[in-house]
Amino acid sequence: MEDSNAKGNRLDVWIAVLIALVSLTTALATWRTASLGSSAGDLIYQGFLDAVKFQANANEDWQQAYLDAGNARDYLMTLDSLAVQENSTDPASIEQAAQLRIYLLPGMESQATPLGTDPSYLTQEGWLNVQKQFNELEAQSSDLSSLDPLASFSKADSYYAEQRWLVVGTILIAISLFWLGLSQLSHLRSRVLILVLGVLVYGIGLVWSVGVEIVFFILRTGGL
Amino acid sequence: MNTSDNSRPERGKTLVLVLTLLNTILVAAISALQVDASIRSSQANRDSQYYAIQVTGSLIQAGAQSDYDIKTFSTMLINSMESLASQYSAVQQQAAGDQQGFEAMTLESQILQARADRAKSLSILMTDPAYAPTSEQSNPDYSTYISDLYKQSNEIVLKQNVSSDAYHHWNSKSDSYVAVLTILAVAFFLLGVAQMTRPGLRLLFSIFAIVVMGIGSLWTLILLLF
Repeated sequence: MEDSNAKGNRLDVWIAVLIALVSLTTALATWRTASLGSSAGDLIYQGFLDAVKFQANANEDWQQAYLDAGNARDYLMTLDSLAVQENSTDPASIEQAAQLRIYLLPGMESQATPLGTDPSYLTQEGWLNVQKQFNELEAQSSDLSSLDPLASFSKADSYYAEQRWLVVGTILIAISLFWLGLSQLSHLRSRVLILVLGVLVYGIGLVWSVGVEIVFFILRTGGL
Repeated sequence: MNTSDNSRPERGKTLVLVLTLLNTILVAAISALQVDASIRSSQANRDSQYYAIQVTGSLIQAGAQSDYDIKTFSTMLINSMESLASQYSAVQQQAAGDQQGFEAMTLESQILQARADRAKSLSILMTDPAYAPTSEQSNPDYSTYISDLYKQSNEIVLKQNVSSDAYHHWNSKSDSYVAVLTILAVAFFLLGVAQMTRPGLRLLFSIFAIVVMGIGSLWTLILLLF
């Protein structure tokens, strides 16, 4: 009888140690799961910042490209009207055209460059190629190359995927804690069975969580 | 006190244990579903906001483009009309015997026509077969032009709406899973009481717990199906 009591007391101590260990693991796994969600949230926030900056810059460039197109249109129209004046028989008109070429055209030309002066900026249909001008303006914004919202979103998705899988491990560890607690309180003959069940579930949960961490670490560092 | 309760105090404890195990598995599965729904909701919310940023940009581009296209078209129209008016004035000057006036008006008309011709060649509304007038008297096809102009914006708005709906769908599911988990927590409490109480009441508390677990399971099933 005393021997049986001593065995029971030793088991109580072992179960208490296991409960402490599993509690710590549960806390660690929960922290890691939450921190993954937080990292994904941070990346999404960063992606939004990048998207807003990128779009604001694109908006300015579109406005500028169409403003340039308007200047180019006015310049080309002025050029054509000057050609008519220069080919006329009216000396006053010819003189006026010459004056306009000297005093008006250079300013207009500088505003219309390159859309109105470079033939490569005309489409096959003869329209001004605003898209090309926009692309040129975008290329000039060197700081844009570092802004990649989709890359941030993709990385956030990777954290979310890891969080999904890690939650399974965390739940298994939490379940094992419940069974270990039950084995501590139980006076049934099946106490050892409940304890074994708890340890088994804890082992599976732990291996699962560590496995998820390793797989996603390799995936993120490009090891696979 | 019931004599059978005293003689078999452990009666029904195995049933309570099995129910507790079942409830634990249910809670674990629903917790995972809740996390999944929450993640999907966050992703849909992110997509919805990203599309909203894109549609703003698309509308600004469309606004700048329509401003340029309409200005080019109206410039062409104004120069054509003024050229025509100058031509008409030239004819009148000629009829009045004013040769100098006739020549000045003719030159003015030619200058304006040259400007109109250039504007026409640059105008998408006048030269694109999709919008160009089919005859001298008709107008460009504005409705097709406007439809094409906002086509990209409308497509993004459509995607934004789909993402927004997905966000509401998953967010609502996530909230419902939390409610189910709360219900199952009640089942845990009832099973705990059942474990501690005497055998007669143990069965009663177990039945209550089974009912609560049934409600939680049914709700989860509905959430999974719809």
